Amino acid sequence: MVYSEGMTAILKVSDLRKIYDDKPAVDGISFEVKKGEIFGILGPNGAGKTTTLEMIETMRPIDGGTITVDGIDVATRPNDIKQIIGVQPQSPAFQDKQKLSEIIEMFAAAYGERVNPREFLDDVQLGEKADSYAEQLSGGQRQRLSIAAALVHNPKVFFLDEPTTGLDPQARRNLWDLIREVRDKGVTVILTTHYLDEAELLCDRVAIMDKGKIIALDTPKNLIKQLLKRGFTKTQQVEQANLDDVFIDLTGKGLRD
Amino acid sequence: MTIQQQLRTVVVFTKLSTRRFFRDKLALFFGIIFPLIFLFVFGTINSGSGAPKFNVALINQSDTTFARSFADQLQQGKVFKVDKEATTYAEAKDKLGKSQVDGIIILPAGFGAPDQAKGYPTGNIRLVYSQSSSGTGQTLQSVLSGTLNGVNTKLVGTPPLAVRGEALNDHQLSPFDYTFSGLLGFSIIGIGIFGPINVFPELKKQGILRRLHTTPIRVWQYFMATMFSQAITGVVSIAIQFLVAIAVFHLKVAGNYLEIILFTVLSIFTILGIGLAIGGWAKNERQAAPLSNIIVFPMLFLSGTFFPRFEMPVWLQHVTTFLPLTPVIDGLRLLTTEGKHLVDIGPQLGLMLAWMVIIYAIAFRSFRWE
Repeated sequence: MVYSEGMTAILKVSDLRKIYDDKPAVDGISFEVKKGEIFGILGPNGAGKTTTLEMIETMRPIDGGTITVDGIDVATRPNDIKQIIGVQPQSPAFQDKQKLSEIIEMFAAAYGERVNPREFLDDVQLGEKADSYAEQLSGGQRQRLSIAAALVHNPKVFFLDEPTTGLDPQARRNLWDLIREVRDKGVTVILTTHYLDEAELLCDRVAIMDKGKIIALDTPKNLIKQLLKRGFTKTQQVEQANLDDVFIDLTGKGLRD
Repeated sequence: MTIQQQLRTVVVFTKLSTRRFFRDKLALFFGIIFPLIFLFVFGTINSGSGAPKFNVALINQSDTTFARSFADQLQQGKVFKVDKEATTYAEAKDKLGKSQVDGIIILPAGFGAPDQAKGYPTGNIRLVYSQSSSGTGQTLQSVLSGTLNGVNTKLVGTPPLAVRGEALNDHQLSPFDYTFSGLLGFSIIGIGIFGPINVFPELKKQGILRRLHTTPIRVWQYFMATMFSQAITGVVSIAIQFLVAIAVFHLKVAGNYLEIILFTVLSIFTILGIGLAIGGWAKNERQAAPLSNIIVFPMLFLSGTFFPRFEMPVWLQHVTTFLPLTPVIDGLRLLTTEGKHLVDIGPQLGLMLAWMVIIYAIAFRSFRWE
């Protein structure tokens, strides 16, 4: 399922505000995310991306405005929201001496669910590591474990905060595929990122934030079209390939762990 | 979520964190080996029978058979510990001056030589002690007189007047009994306070608690799971200490094991509340460490962990009765060595429950997931 006009909104944010030390970190933003799309929030550091995400995730009090997820108000029913969202933190960590299968079991229990951990680990290509400890995983594997843990309760919306920061190109591509698979199962994906190539390739729509406001919101293609319409030209000739393509061509797409 | 589902969450979390404890070598060391080291150190120091022991120098200047066997008796007896390094009067005097011995016993030349007319050995023992510790000297003197009296009685028959001492051995507590319950208190502090205040700030730093907070799990569920798993590992640790105390230090357990286990679990719950309050509130180690030192150290020294409370001034005993660790240590001693039952230790149980209400009220209010 790919984004198209007319799909119903699963997340509605209106006039959302957060104030830190008298300064607005999030300054009255409004947007909607449609069911089944991959939605990216872009912006420089300090733009308010993470704060916005955390308010939607019930992790931070809302200073103004409203948020609803699947029709449920975040401010008044945080526990019902938690039951229908999955959250992938910026740098996922797990306790030592805990097997992967036990981590899945633990997260399922936190949601009141009972699952077969192996199934969820297989989904993120970690089935064979079910009996390894979390501290034995590489960065990319930890990201994948974390995604599996965030999806144990079949959430409707899945949030990822800068999921590919610090990963090698192979692991990044693998994670993009994984995120698309999640979306294809009908889960709405909302992520923040610094990487514009990532947003362009992965996201159906992106919101660009700066200084607490949304300054643009559309599909990556439309945003580029609008820019070109305004008469923008690159100073340098666009090549048919870039260094990223060279790297992947030389080292292959195979996952390194 | 139904309440059954919520309790199942507690059960799964308890199971998984207990399992993790037994896999973690560092946790095992601090939870089980470390208290055992303390048990051996303090147990060895305090495992005496409770009777005072005197360090003495013994100088035998007599070559009679009687003097030699008398000296042997003194050395083998339990009351005197004879310093083997001091063999001359000069050496002995030097040691007395440094308080390394409590007195010098001299058997003068000719001591124990048989008196031809009376038909039995005679002589005077010289006892030299320091004027600055005349109390010890007098005790030494009467102990020695007592020993000689025994000999005299054998030689000339029972004297008309005598004192007969009777030792009452009923429920007499040895220093080890106090030491042991104090050490149990110490390991409960380790399980209940040192554990959480080390673990929680680390979990916060890595964002593990924050991640849990994105799930519907509630603070009470997380607290309960922590209480249960700490109780399980704590009971194991304390059971091992009992086994060692019984096998090595001849601890006589007069009480009921089921009651001891129940009381131990309650004690762990109470003390763990302090750890949950500090560790749950602190954002990082820098906040946790000073606060826990302020709370733990006075309790360690004032609740009878290493020094029995009866040795303190009376006013201090009155104050320290109300510390949260005091009913734990007193209760454990009463149940273990004095053979009391839970119904007999109402004051201790009451005080503990009162603390539990206060401590957990604070812990719930101050808990922070990040």
